[in-house]
Amino acid sequence: MPEIRVTPLGAGQDVGRSCILVSIAGKNVMLDCGMHMGFNDDRRFPDFSYITRNGRLTDFLDCVIISHFHLDHCGALPYFSEMVGYDGPIYMTHPTQAICPILLEDYRKIAVDKKGEANFFTSQMIKDCMKKVVAVHLHQTVQVDDELEIKAYYAGHVLGAAMFQIKVGSESVVYTGDYNMTPDRHLGAAWIDKCRPNLLITESTYATTIRDSKRCRERDFLKKVHEAVERGGKVLIPVFALGRAQELCILLETFWERMNLKAPIYFSTGLTEKANHYYKLFITWTNQKIRKTFVQRNMFEFKHIKAFDRAFADNPGPMVIMPGYCVQGTVGHKILSGQRKLEMEGRQVLEVKMQVEYMSFSAHADAKGIMQLVGQAEPESVLLVHGEAKKMEFLKQKIEQEFRVNCYMPANGETVTLPTSPSIPVGISLGLLKREMAQGLLPDAKKPRLLHGTLIMKDSNFRLVSSEQALKELGLAEHQLRFTCRVHLHDPRKEQETAMRVYSHLKSVLKDHCVQHLPDGSVTVESILIQAAAHSEDPGTKVLLVSWTYQDEELGSYLTSLLKKGLPQASS
Amino acid sequence: MDPECSQLLPALCAVLADPRQPVADDTCLEKLLDWFKTITKAGSSLLLLQENPCLVELLCHVLKPQDLSSRVLSFSLRLAGVFAAQEDCFQYLQQGELLPRLFGEPGPLGGAAWTAPSVRSGWIQGLRSLAQHPSALHFLADCGAVDTIFSLQGDSSLFVASAAGQLLVHILGLSMQGLAEGHPSLQAGDWPVCAQKIVGHIEESLHSTAVPQITQALNVLTTTFGHCHDPWTQVLWVRLSPLVGSLLEKDPVPAAHSLVDLLLSVARSPGLSSSSCGLWETLAQTLNHLSPTQAGPLALGILKLQDCPQVLRAQAFVILLQPLACVLKATGQDPGPSDVLDSATGDSLTVDALLSSKAACVGLLCRTLAHLELLQPLPQRPCPWPQEPLLGAAVTLLQLCRGSASPASDVGRHLCALLLGCVRVQRAALDFLGTLSQETGPQELVTEVFAVLLEYLRSPDSSPTVLKKAFQATFRWLLSSPKTPGCCDLEPHALLVLRELLPVLQKRLCSPCWEVRDSGLEFLTQMTRHWGGQAGFRHALLASEVPKLTEQLLRDPESYVRASAVTVMGQLSSQGLHVTPVSPEHPGGQQKSLLVELLHILSTDSEGFPRRAVMQVFTQWLRDHHADVAGDTEQFMARVLQVASQDLDWEVRAQGLELALVFLEQTLGQFHSHCPYAVTPPVAAPAGPLAQALQPLCRVRLFEFAFRALFDCDRPVAQKSCDLLLFLRAKTASSSGSLQESRSGPDVASVEAALQRWQAGDQGQPLGDLEPEVVLAVLRSVDLEGLRGALAEGSDHMEKSPQSLLQDMLATVGVLGENEADCY
Repeated sequence: MPEIRVTPLGAGQDVGRSCILVSIAGKNVMLDCGMHMGFNDDRRFPDFSYITRNGRLTDFLDCVIISHFHLDHCGALPYFSEMVGYDGPIYMTHPTQAICPILLEDYRKIAVDKKGEANFFTSQMIKDCMKKVVAVHLHQTVQVDDELEIKAYYAGHVLGAAMFQIKVGSESVVYTGDYNMTPDRHLGAAWIDKCRPNLLITESTYATTIRDSKRCRERDFLKKVHEAVERGGKVLIPVFALGRAQELCILLETFWERMNLKAPIYFSTGLTEKANHYYKLFITWTNQKIRKTFVQRNMFEFKHIKAFDRAFADNPGPMVIMPGYCVQGTVGHKILSGQRKLEMEGRQVLEVKMQVEYMSFSAHADAKGIMQLVGQAEPESVLLVHGEAKKMEFLKQKIEQEFRVNCYMPANGETVTLPTSPSIPVGISLGLLKREMAQGLLPDAKKPRLLHGTLIMKDSNFRLVSSEQALKELGLAEHQLRFTCRVHLHDPRKEQETAMRVYSHLKSVLKDHCVQHLPDGSVTVESILIQAAAHSEDPGTKVLLVSWTYQDEELGSYLTSLLKKGLPQASS
Repeated sequence: MDPECSQLLPALCAVLADPRQPVADDTCLEKLLDWFKTITKAGSSLLLLQENPCLVELLCHVLKPQDLSSRVLSFSLRLAGVFAAQEDCFQYLQQGELLPRLFGEPGPLGGAAWTAPSVRSGWIQGLRSLAQHPSALHFLADCGAVDTIFSLQGDSSLFVASAAGQLLVHILGLSMQGLAEGHPSLQAGDWPVCAQKIVGHIEESLHSTAVPQITQALNVLTTTFGHCHDPWTQVLWVRLSPLVGSLLEKDPVPAAHSLVDLLLSVARSPGLSSSSCGLWETLAQTLNHLSPTQAGPLALGILKLQDCPQVLRAQAFVILLQPLACVLKATGQDPGPSDVLDSATGDSLTVDALLSSKAACVGLLCRTLAHLELLQPLPQRPCPWPQEPLLGAAVTLLQLCRGSASPASDVGRHLCALLLGCVRVQRAALDFLGTLSQETGPQELVTEVFAVLLEYLRSPDSSPTVLKKAFQATFRWLLSSPKTPGCCDLEPHALLVLRELLPVLQKRLCSPCWEVRDSGLEFLTQMTRHWGGQAGFRHALLASEVPKLTEQLLRDPESYVRASAVTVMGQLSSQGLHVTPVSPEHPGGQQKSLLVELLHILSTDSEGFPRRAVMQVFTQWLRDHHADVAGDTEQFMARVLQVASQDLDWEVRAQGLELALVFLEQTLGQFHSHCPYAVTPPVAAPAGPLAQALQPLCRVRLFEFAFRALFDCDRPVAQKSCDLLLFLRAKTASSSGSLQESRSGPDVASVEAALQRWQAGDQGQPLGDLEPEVVLAVLRSVDLEGLRGALAEGSDHMEKSPQSLLQDMLATVGVLGENEADCY
């Protein structure tokens, strides 16, 4: 039985360490290869030993697909390819390929430099890993091999983020990665065509949330920043340098210009600067507005925002705005959870005097967006990943109710198996087609039509031909199959007379058919043959032997039932 | 446990037990469990529970019917297991009947929570921790846990199913530990109850017709024999081997992969392989019964065994070689005089497998090539090794993939059609070909090897990954070319190849793909490293455009390529293969010297990789007394250190310290220790007075660089600087007697003040020229050992502490609703 199997090694009822294994029509694909921010040991990476118990990973996996450059989707990639030993192809979009090494280098820096970890992947490994990448364009169908093809769709979320359709023959799976269904200041909205996949694997970070209007959130953010600055204070926004940083930079830049504000805005040098470089480079991946105005003014060349120099650092001031999630084990997490005293090195305790605001600017689809995408793609089933179990449960019910499709939410390590009914292409012979055409019916792609013929399976090919052609091709003689039935009639007359009575009766009843009485005494109606014989034990009874071919099955059945009722009395 | 943690624990337990309080994320629970594991490893669990009654209360509380999160339930089961691992604590928990309620029928096992895989996983892991002593075994038997474990082997979660299998192995081992030494009886009745039950289950599973059940039984046995070599395992194998053998009578052989794993595990176990239960016969029989794809791993495993009958090894090798033998035969090549390959050619099953479909063909060939690649370097590989036919097969495969072979036979043509353009086989064959370079072959064949490699390097169809492998294989073959004894120059044939290769490399260095340009540069680096000093190579290289192109790549748009170009240029220059036409008479028209160019990259390149590469080149140049550096080393050092100290990339600054160390070594004399960071008493004191020796270091401002680096915001830089200064202090300690220290002088005070400012994070003004006396005084006054100790801690060690974890978990209560789980 053909089936699609999906096993999340990470992101199953969980956020972080995205890694989903998909088996489709005998092909094995790994979707994302992320790390978990919350762990500093082996648990940070998916447990790849579960992929295959026997044999090498490179032989088992046909390809790895990375949806976007965030570390929870690509952070384990150099480990997987250079330390675990996967040596096959890795697919991602061009911007992802360009930005991924920056993020991976940054991750390496944190692990090796800040946390002093040994045995971590090296810069050389990151480079070697990136050299295995095959970059893809949006909407380009890429043949991984003769059977497996993939296609990327725009996902919003961050620069270069893509949803991927994985297709083998007529079976397909769509993996969304992280996506955003509403355009923001620098990126467009995710979009996919009505590809009707067998399965849609969608993220569900905001499975139960309907996000408040983005405008409100932005207004609120700007108001808070403005107030703090007006009071002579400073605002610190520790934002992830790629993605949200650019969004907030554009927001602040526009506001500063509109309000004619003079207070300086700085961003930290290094990573953000590099990120801006790539945003300029891949301008086609941004939203329409930015693309349109690009010639007159590149939105990523900020007037008011300057690179931060360490020399400016003094006391950061009275407000910190956290525009995203902070994992446990960080100062950010402590501040966000409202701890007002922080223990630092040497038992030194720092008091948190500043105002702390949490304003999420992360670009995920909310519940409405997820439903919208399901509606857009029209999948046969849906599978939720990258979210919390409880919230997924709610969304699952909603999807099942609204779209009448099965929705799954496997935990990490759990396998979901979906039976599929693959459609197999069949070639049709010209002769058969001509015969159909001769009947005056032109083929119509939208109207399925019943066609009789003989299916020949040869050399892994299927062909439908006329029976005559099949016999000729296969060198076979025709057999005739006849159905037979015995009908007992109470009639003491001779057999010939009984046959004559039958003939007269049928002639009167079946006016549209050709009823014949043959010289040997038998009666025919089309292919149906009726012969009358004496009963061996009861001379008052005659036996009618009825036989017919399968083509006249309906008529045959009708005739037998007619004869079983007996012959009309009047004629006797 | 710290008193602070003890204080926080009751509140945390209360939060965990409260279903209205969601737990922030399960990483916190994992970390909490890690902490309890550390505590119980170091001390008594019983004492811990007695001192912190809230823990038992938590375990009791989770049993109450309520809507508790599955995470907390799973955590509690695992926690109970950790505590009960110590027998006295187990008894303590048993008194309250807590364990049966947690792990028995009345617990989560029978409830709705059981549907959550995390709870089932917690249950298994809890039992795995708990099963450490005889009392635990009784408990397992009494509460019927073993039956549940049997059923969990087929769980829908891979993690649970695998853990269940592991747990059975563990319980079996534990229960057999109690048995008297020596060979236990074969009679099942003599075995402990738990063991009997498990073995009975395995036997039943092996009799089953359901493949998953057979697989589970085989996996349990594989792990058992892999981990435990006690005498009882031999008895177990004697008892079960007929059943295992009977699997071979089925067609197709069920759970073939797992069966292979089991047989190899048995063969690797010294006690089992020598036992007289026909292991070798079973292995031989299995080799015959399995399909070519399944037999490959078994054949490789057999060939890797240390002791194994020769006949079996020969049989395994034939099986392993079969696909390649078929390829040779199909392409009309004589497999050669080797008996092994000759006997491998006739197998129709392999031919069928090869030709059945493209996927099957590619899979079988890739696996075969990978197996042979693994086998080649092993000492126990078969002897004689059929080097020639294997080389022939690898070359043929590469030709088939390119379509450059034109086989006459039908099978050959079919193969050609299947393999044409197949990147997977190309990659595998190139890797294998590279491995084969460890031995050579007849000249004609080696010529063919180079021809096919050049064909790949030239082909516009070769993908970047294939090109990289082709470069690597080419280098390995050039390296293995026969050499004149005592001379490491390239032999004439290899030189011919090189002459053909350089124009190809030249073309590849201009590839629009950065991956290809980079692989080309890496290849050039390897070649220059090996043959840069050899006349033939030098001549060929200098006659080509390659050095000029490489220099142009210093300005490549891709930073990885710029970095590789820097490395190559540094090396070319070291070997005298890059000569800048410096003409002081025409300063306007001269080309920039490489040193200036590299300094420019170091100061201006926006990416870290090229700057790091420059620092590595400079360090090597300094070590090698490169002419550009030796001219005015002090000026070079002063300039490089100044630029490096400003760099935002910590690895560039760390490299700066590496460079400083080399300079230090050269200035103060040679050290006998090879590990410069090892603080060992110096054996060679500088020739002149110490102050004089330190002068150059002061002039290049090495100390200011090192002192600043001591408080660098990046830890490895500070560590490196600390080590360097400690080393210098030890070095100068023995010979500083003659030096007048000006400890109380104003200069020392100002330096110390500057250090304090730097430590506080202030950038401050440069120190200016330091006197050696001041440096020595400062060296003595700074607590370098203390600093080194502090730097040994990770930057997040405060946030990683258990106390911090407990505080964080408590602080999240109530806030969670507002800041719902988000991500990036």
